[in-house]
Amino acid sequence: MAQQEFIIQRYDPDTDESYEESFNVDVQPGQTVLDSLNAIKWEQDGTLSFRMSCRHAICGSCAMKVNGQSMLTCQTQVDAAAERGDPVRVGPMGNQKVIKDLVVDVGKFLHQFERAETWLEPYEDQEPPEKEYRQKVEEFDHWSHASTCIHCGACYSDCTVAAVDENFLGPAALAKAYRFVMDSRDSKREERLQYLSETEGGIWDCTRCYMCVQACPKDVLPMDAIMELRTLAIEAGHTNNHGVRHHKGFTSGVRKRGRLDEMMLPVQSVGIGRLLTGNISAHKEMMDYTPGAIRLLKSRKLFAIAQRHGANAEGREQIQRIFDEVEAEKHHHDVDADAFGAEFQTAIGGH
Amino acid sequence: MRAALEVSSDPTLDVAILSKVHPLRSHSGAAQGGIAASLGNSAEDSWGLHMFDTVKGGDYLVDQDAAEVLTREGPENIFELEHMGCAFSRDDEGRVAQRRFGGHTAPRACYAADRTGHAVLTVLFEQLLRRGVKVYSEWYALDLVVKDNVCQGLVAYDILSGQIEAISSKAVMFGTGGYGRAFRVTTNAFASTGDGVVMAYRAGIPLEDMEFVQFHPTGLQGSGILLSEAARGEGAHIVNSDGFRFMENYAPGRMELAPRDIVARAEQSEIEAGRGVTSLRDSVFMDLRPIGEERIRYALPSVLHLARDFAGIDPLQAPVPIQPTAHYSMGGIPCDINGQVRVKDLDGAPQVTGFFAAGEASCVSVHGANRLGTNSLLEAVVFGRRAGRGILDVVHDLEPTNIDEGDMANAVGEVDKFMRAKGPEKVGKIRAELRDTMMDKCGVFRDDAELREALSEVKDYQERFRNISIDDHGSTFNTDLLDAIELGHMLEYSEVIVTGALARQESRGGHARRDFPTRDDDNWFRHTLAYRPQGGEDGPRLEYCAVNMEPKFREPFPLQERTY
Repeated sequence: MAQQEFIIQRYDPDTDESYEESFNVDVQPGQTVLDSLNAIKWEQDGTLSFRMSCRHAICGSCAMKVNGQSMLTCQTQVDAAAERGDPVRVGPMGNQKVIKDLVVDVGKFLHQFERAETWLEPYEDQEPPEKEYRQKVEEFDHWSHASTCIHCGACYSDCTVAAVDENFLGPAALAKAYRFVMDSRDSKREERLQYLSETEGGIWDCTRCYMCVQACPKDVLPMDAIMELRTLAIEAGHTNNHGVRHHKGFTSGVRKRGRLDEMMLPVQSVGIGRLLTGNISAHKEMMDYTPGAIRLLKSRKLFAIAQRHGANAEGREQIQRIFDEVEAEKHHHDVDADAFGAEFQTAIGGH
Repeated sequence: MRAALEVSSDPTLDVAILSKVHPLRSHSGAAQGGIAASLGNSAEDSWGLHMFDTVKGGDYLVDQDAAEVLTREGPENIFELEHMGCAFSRDDEGRVAQRRFGGHTAPRACYAADRTGHAVLTVLFEQLLRRGVKVYSEWYALDLVVKDNVCQGLVAYDILSGQIEAISSKAVMFGTGGYGRAFRVTTNAFASTGDGVVMAYRAGIPLEDMEFVQFHPTGLQGSGILLSEAARGEGAHIVNSDGFRFMENYAPGRMELAPRDIVARAEQSEIEAGRGVTSLRDSVFMDLRPIGEERIRYALPSVLHLARDFAGIDPLQAPVPIQPTAHYSMGGIPCDINGQVRVKDLDGAPQVTGFFAAGEASCVSVHGANRLGTNSLLEAVVFGRRAGRGILDVVHDLEPTNIDEGDMANAVGEVDKFMRAKGPEKVGKIRAELRDTMMDKCGVFRDDAELREALSEVKDYQERFRNISIDDHGSTFNTDLLDAIELGHMLEYSEVIVTGALARQESRGGHARRDFPTRDDDNWFRHTLAYRPQGGEDGPRLEYCAVNMEPKFREPFPLQERTY
């Protein structure tokens, strides 16, 4: 048994006061951070509030920030959190309003699932089969990771986009939307892809920082799901939006010049065609770039960007070859996947 | 949630779910192995066979009308979940995959990897969202209001604001879960404090078969967190401090794969004989290494993670200390096969109009004296749906209800009492002592002397509980207050468990008496009913009722010796 210091971020809603409080806890081998919070609550200070229930990483109640990173406290060993005997810092999840101590208002996070309508929409024009729908193992394996979400909010808490954009659907809801896009029992695949591409805070707002994948205590891999949704959305023809134009401007620029042309990217993202035809909202979108441009100007970075406009990078032929090879490989993969699907459908006598 | 989904099919009804934790946090999500149904996807199976396994597994204390409903309606309920989008694992034909499980003679556990409960819970919540069913999340039900045997609704506490509100309703269904938290070592969530069971008891409804608590043999030492039965299925050894596979002495034919109650009792015997492991000598070792690293990684990933994350032990390197852990509450609120709360086969017994129950909080009784693995999720779904339909059948004929201020007095008074209490006793301390008492004196093995000690200790805790105080007097998210209310519930139902166990002088399923080691069908082939003491009574009043032996579609299974 050893003494361990915990520094808890506290908030008293009655006085609107935030403060840090230190507690010393006797820690046994194998003890978790949640065990230690309970020891504090039950033996030292009953006013400390936090959520918990199952104690084994399936109910999703006890996500908090431990040393600044979001995780399930029931799943986190004190030994692992307290490197070199440093105090363990425990705080509430981020990107959500604190209610009391370590309890946050999860309403905004959970609302995103309703926005994205993450439930199965069955085919209305046909009766379900007498028994189960058939689904091949490979299909299930492809999306089942995204169904392991326990709605703990750790990904949303650490999401760098949710931190600045209230409207962002967030990693968990998007990963769950992906799970239904991929599920052959769902009738709304097309509508989902369109919504996720075009809504404010949809798939194109992710900045690919990977924090969600790191924070997730399960195997959901939210960012990977979001990236796959982007590909599916483009394939389904949902290309007339800022995200896709940005993506295309980005890649076509790199392919052509071997480097990013930052002068052109805003114009490409808003859409050259839209701007030329005098689309008012397109011109408004251009105006949104103004504050950023002024900041660049002030920090003397705009000149450097302008100077590189239209210039080719050294070795751009090699970069073009990478593009060609990736495309060829992808085509190959798609052909294989189609052949496999057809074979399976034949084997089980259709669906 | 399954019941609410059913009731929400009638757009003229105003249905809501009220839960002290968000519904997605419910303990059903912790079920790992599967949900039973005789789909026959992997091998020949039938509902009759499933029913027989269930009756035998429950040591014949199973109501056979209920077991019949459970097993006959199993498959259609699985298909319904599947049509809702449940993430079931698949077999090579693309059908719902099924595997073997303890006590079932056919591979009938439909599963979603090792997170079946999570998959079922999630899909039900998704469909509730789709229907727009109202959810009162983090509302704590304080009191069930019953007037002249008619349920009026609930009085509930909004955890966020600290407000107490009356919720009048023509029908109320409890799906409030089990009561395993009264034991020191348990697989149960912190939330499993038997709140619904005690609310019903306080409203005058007797509790059925409360002495039957299932102990699972492979809980992590200390915390009691469950390591799946699949570990033994894959070939893990269980050894004592001498490194000896002691099942050789208890069940040489089945070794570690003997039924749960037998393995749990063998472990307890070794521990009590001083052959336990670790410095505390309170556990035995489960050694996964004979299975081989590759197979452990492939077949038992969650066991691997649980041991590492929750005990800091790597099963690839070292054996894991395990001990019997309180797992499932067979007893609960008595109800019929339509979820209507009533005492069956007992003339003149109370029935509360408009009050329903399903799942672990209820006692239908499909599990009798011992539940088979994978039957609990099935029960929750099958009888949740039936309770929903039971409500639809009667609700339009019921009179509107009304809860007035007087009806709220109990609940308001209880909260007020704790908020004002200034005694020296602390909730955490009494709770820890209660859990020791229940584990050590009303656990895997029981006998007259220990149960009498347990009873007097529980009464002593009840006395001390009158002199507690809490630290938190705020109105926002006051979990200190909820801890106190929950301890009150635990103290009340613990007395019922011990009283029932003391009276039942036989060993049957999960109830093992050292002083009465055999099953006694002549005297004890009957359900216990415990009524809350009234004016002058010293403890729960026990009555008994017959076990149902009248399935509708087949002959009943006659009593037999339970051997495996």
